[in-house]
Amino acid sequence: MEVQKEAQRIMTLSVWKMYHSRMQRGGLRLHRSLQLSLVMRSARELYLSAKVEAHEPEVPLPPVRSPDPRLHQSREAEAGAEAAPPDGEPTSPEPMDTREAPRAEETPARCAPRPTKVSRKRRNSSLSDGGDVGLVPSKKARLEEEEEEGASSEVPDRLQPPPAQAEGAFPNLARVLQRRFSGLLNCSPAAPPTAPPACEAKPACRPADSMLNVLVRAVVAF
Amino acid sequence: MKCKEMGGAGGGNDIQWCFSQVKGAVDDDVAEADIISTVEFNHSGELLATGDKGGRVVIFQQEQENKIQSHSRGEYNVYSTFQSHEPEFDYLKSLEIEEKINKIRWLPQKNAAQFLLSTNDKTIKLWKISERDKRPEGYNLKEEDGRYRDPTTVTTLRVPVFRPMDLMVEASPRRIFANAHTYHINSISINSDYETYLSADDLRINLWHLEITDRSFNIVDIKPANMEELTEVITAAEFHPNSCNTFVYSSSKGTIRLCDMRASALCDRHSKLFEEPEDPSNRSFFSEIISSISDVKFSHSGRYMMTRDYLSVKIWDLNMENRPVETYQVHEYLRSKLCSLYENDCIFDKFECCWNGSDSVVMTGSYNNFFRMFDRNTKRDITLEASRENNKPRTVLKPRKVCASGKRKKDEISVDSLDFNKKILHTAWHPKENIIAVATTNNLYIFQDKVN
Repeated sequence: MEVQKEAQRIMTLSVWKMYHSRMQRGGLRLHRSLQLSLVMRSARELYLSAKVEAHEPEVPLPPVRSPDPRLHQSREAEAGAEAAPPDGEPTSPEPMDTREAPRAEETPARCAPRPTKVSRKRRNSSLSDGGDVGLVPSKKARLEEEEEEGASSEVPDRLQPPPAQAEGAFPNLARVLQRRFSGLLNCSPAAPPTAPPACEAKPACRPADSMLNVLVRAVVAF
Repeated sequence: MKCKEMGGAGGGNDIQWCFSQVKGAVDDDVAEADIISTVEFNHSGELLATGDKGGRVVIFQQEQENKIQSHSRGEYNVYSTFQSHEPEFDYLKSLEIEEKINKIRWLPQKNAAQFLLSTNDKTIKLWKISERDKRPEGYNLKEEDGRYRDPTTVTTLRVPVFRPMDLMVEASPRRIFANAHTYHINSISINSDYETYLSADDLRINLWHLEITDRSFNIVDIKPANMEELTEVITAAEFHPNSCNTFVYSSSKGTIRLCDMRASALCDRHSKLFEEPEDPSNRSFFSEIISSISDVKFSHSGRYMMTRDYLSVKIWDLNMENRPVETYQVHEYLRSKLCSLYENDCIFDKFECCWNGSDSVVMTGSYNNFFRMFDRNTKRDITLEASRENNKPRTVLKPRKVCASGKRKKDEISVDSLDFNKKILHTAWHPKENIIAVATTNNLYIFQDKVN
């Protein structure tokens, strides 16, 4: 729980930093955006793996993986979830300084290109108890609607105001950026992220998730 | 963890560093435009240039040594000040282009004038700094103040002559190299052929000829076809001091690539890749971002290069790619504070590093206005502070110690009381003598070794 909270705090902080970096003179800095997104990704993985650990006894991990174009997006969720169960280490009181060598080492390995076989969507829904879906992008519209209620209640207050501002200030940008899941967050650059047609059709931005995606993909816009 | 014992005076042959001068405002309230953003000695060390956030360049000149007062080397006094870059607006992207000077590099002197390159995020300029100490007098058609004489009043003819005048130093932009970089320029480096130079931004490196401003050659391009696949950026680049075909560039992932321009026109494939495998015991949440290299500098000999990442300085032998030959910890006590340093943005600070003239000592900055020197031969290191408290000329600087944890001894400073707003990012070492220039936020300190 500590770890989760800390990870979420770091994520929120990163989002804010990225948002503010757009405002500074000289425009968005590519290097800074990249570094922020790296931290955000690590925080996200940590959060998700901590979440999975916490819920592990109740969650049956699906054995069968079926190819599904929608599932390309949630690579992190899957990786984090897979990495977490084998890692039985108790988290230390200093979560950010915690050695996460086992997790981290596993995630890159698991993030090796596997374009077709992952059942991320299933895992996502089994993971989600409404709490963290804002952090795990999903492309299925119906699923989003169900989860949205859960997401909005869990999202920290600080995260709520910015989406309105961000979308108000850069509405077109948000929509453009929403279309693809950022390869920035992918562990392996070698795997080309295919844009599933499903997400192209989805115009609406979910508040919590969109904020994360918008800001994470600020680099692309730049 | 016990406090580490620091070396004695350290810094090569046990030299003792003394305060010499400090330049800049005394106010605690720092005007943003006065923040120093780059410091560079010229090839002889006679001139010292600084660039600031306001786009200005200030050049200091060393006084000729006074033989009578042999207790110190010449002082540096203001020689020239000029506005190098102005803020600009990119209308296409609706972005303001900062006037902050990112780098200054001197050209070797060829004639009476001095030349330097200065760059902001987008544009590089070649400046000519020349002296004028004579002016022509005795024109036939003009008065002394420049007004034209009535031709009917001219009854005799004379030849104008040059008469001495007060020294005037003029800076004029001779070349403007613009519109070649989409991303922010982080480095410029003059080739040893003294005809070409490179400029590097986050994703590309361009090669220019000093005489030609309307085109440049792109020699490195790491921009992925799909920007979403971006995983690393270029953080610094430098030409080899002797081989005009060789240059290196460092990345945000902690790697350095050495490229040979003879191999191909586009040096996307490196000739050598310098990378140290990560120490798994040091892996943490912020490992990735602290491994980003903020500066790379060749040694004067060209045999070694030095890189600076957030916590350490590494020396690499160009003949060995798999690990550095020397690693020096700058402020290892910060490793457990990375989360706080992320919160206050300090973790993104880009420290520079420099070699002394003989490549025996390296120097870099830290927080609390501390700077560190590492003697490669004696393996001793020293921490010094740039502070107005040690204001008297020829005051020997007292070594500082930071106590990471445990019982703090007298005169030691605990990590928690370090001032992270006082950072030394830019330092420079005179090419021949033991004179160093250390930039705090808005002040420039000059220290020299004690001369008996």
